[in-house]
Amino acid sequence: MNPLIFTTILMTVLLGTMIVMMSSHWLMIWIGFEMNLLAIIPILMKKYNPRTMEASTKYFLTQATASMLLMMAIIINLMHSGQWTITKVFNPTASIIMTSALAMKLGLTPFHFWVPEVTQGISLTSGLILLTWQKLAPMSILYQISPSINLNILLTMAVLSILVGGWGGLNQTQLRKIMAYSSIAHMGWMTAVLVYNPTLTMLNMLIYIMMTLTMFMLFIHSSSTTTLSLSHTWNKTPLITTLILITLLSMGGLPPLSGFMPKWMIIQELTKNSSIILPTLMAIMALLNLYFYMRLTYSTSLTMFPSTNNMKMKWQFETKRITLLPPLIVMSSLLLPLTPMLSILD
Amino acid sequence: MMTYIVFILSVIFVISFVGFSSKPSPIYGGLVLIVSGGVGCGIIMNFGGSFLGLMVFLIYLGGMLVVFGYTTAMATEQYPEVWVSNTTVMGVFLLGLLMEVMLVLYVLKSEEVGVVFKFSGVGDWAIYDTGDSEVFSEEIMGVAALYSYGAWVVIVTGWSLLVGVLVILEVTRGD
Repeated sequence: MNPLIFTTILMTVLLGTMIVMMSSHWLMIWIGFEMNLLAIIPILMKKYNPRTMEASTKYFLTQATASMLLMMAIIINLMHSGQWTITKVFNPTASIIMTSALAMKLGLTPFHFWVPEVTQGISLTSGLILLTWQKLAPMSILYQISPSINLNILLTMAVLSILVGGWGGLNQTQLRKIMAYSSIAHMGWMTAVLVYNPTLTMLNMLIYIMMTLTMFMLFIHSSSTTTLSLSHTWNKTPLITTLILITLLSMGGLPPLSGFMPKWMIIQELTKNSSIILPTLMAIMALLNLYFYMRLTYSTSLTMFPSTNNMKMKWQFETKRITLLPPLIVMSSLLLPLTPMLSILD
Repeated sequence: MMTYIVFILSVIFVISFVGFSSKPSPIYGGLVLIVSGGVGCGIIMNFGGSFLGLMVFLIYLGGMLVVFGYTTAMATEQYPEVWVSNTTVMGVFLLGLLMEVMLVLYVLKSEEVGVVFKFSGVGDWAIYDTGDSEVFSEEIMGVAALYSYGAWVVIVTGWSLLVGVLVILEVTRGD
């Protein structure tokens, strides 16, 4: 792609999300979402083959439907309150429709079906942008309307997302699909605590973005998109193998790594609000996630995965230089002792 | 009939939307869009928005739809699909029509009959007199406000249109 046009389109993706996060008028928020959607389509289609075209079409259709639902919720809100500011959604119908629309944009169950298929069909870098940056805008709107969200619908979607994200990822060997199911599960964790303490949603989003960024960059560094190909990294850069181990265990939510911090805080916040069965179920279902992360670490770092002898030497062109990889790795594994700093968020 | 003209026009609006979303060939979709544009203009004019109705006819139908019709005519196929030529298209059209008829019957037979009359002359674009200048309509003032207070909206929509062109060129360019 022409570099000037690519830069323009990438900047428009940024601008769309910024408009969504900074506007106080519902119409501008909708315009921001549409601008974001329109500009990310050529980024998803960077390589021109039928698989990326199909993935971009699926993404476009689901996100456009979600935008239409959002517009309907905005207009119902306008009908019942007579104003366009984003403080509070005044009508329960509008609130439910808006929650469903934003859940479709995030990839929460029961609207999660597009996430693995779209993530699998596009390149690793586009998948990175899709799973991290594109989650910021809908989450910011959910944060802003969180006082008026129907608790039952949101918690149902959250718990089902954690279940689907864990269960669906069990049978996957393609790394992008694994990351997609991991994203579904993490979105479930984020939205479960949204009504109780939205600050923890933002904390979870921050740490999730750091960990997903790290994982994708490790995959890009070793140019691997399948488990088999990832299991050959011991041959090329053994240090990356160790870092994959640490980051994957952090994503699984194991202490003393930083992925444990959001889960710990969320469970604590939920039990403070006298719901005990729910966080127990969520923690148990997070074990499914941990299982397939551990399978990845087992095949990558802990054993020499069976392969034919001529595949043991990995093809290598030149070493990709990934900026910011070391700080990201440090941040996605060693942040847990900083948890008392969360008290400044009040 | 004039008291419920907005309701009738809205029903025709929805039916013509069903007509092109059942996906016949784009030529016929454009034909139905003309009808829906005209009917939409009628709905706006019933609220007193004569300027915006004129905009719909001039810019939407007379500008954008004409260009769309020319480009579709350049890319059309030998036997374009009509609503009756393909079972799927006809099925979807009839399904949409059936849903609209059921909605109309529900509105007319239930307590909600008031909605038929509620939307006529609602007065959103009332003509009012501010006292210092002459009588003017709120709707034209809205369009004028777009270019003064709404400068950010103009910038954002203008940028979106530019990026839309770039995106479409990029997507259709191929390798």
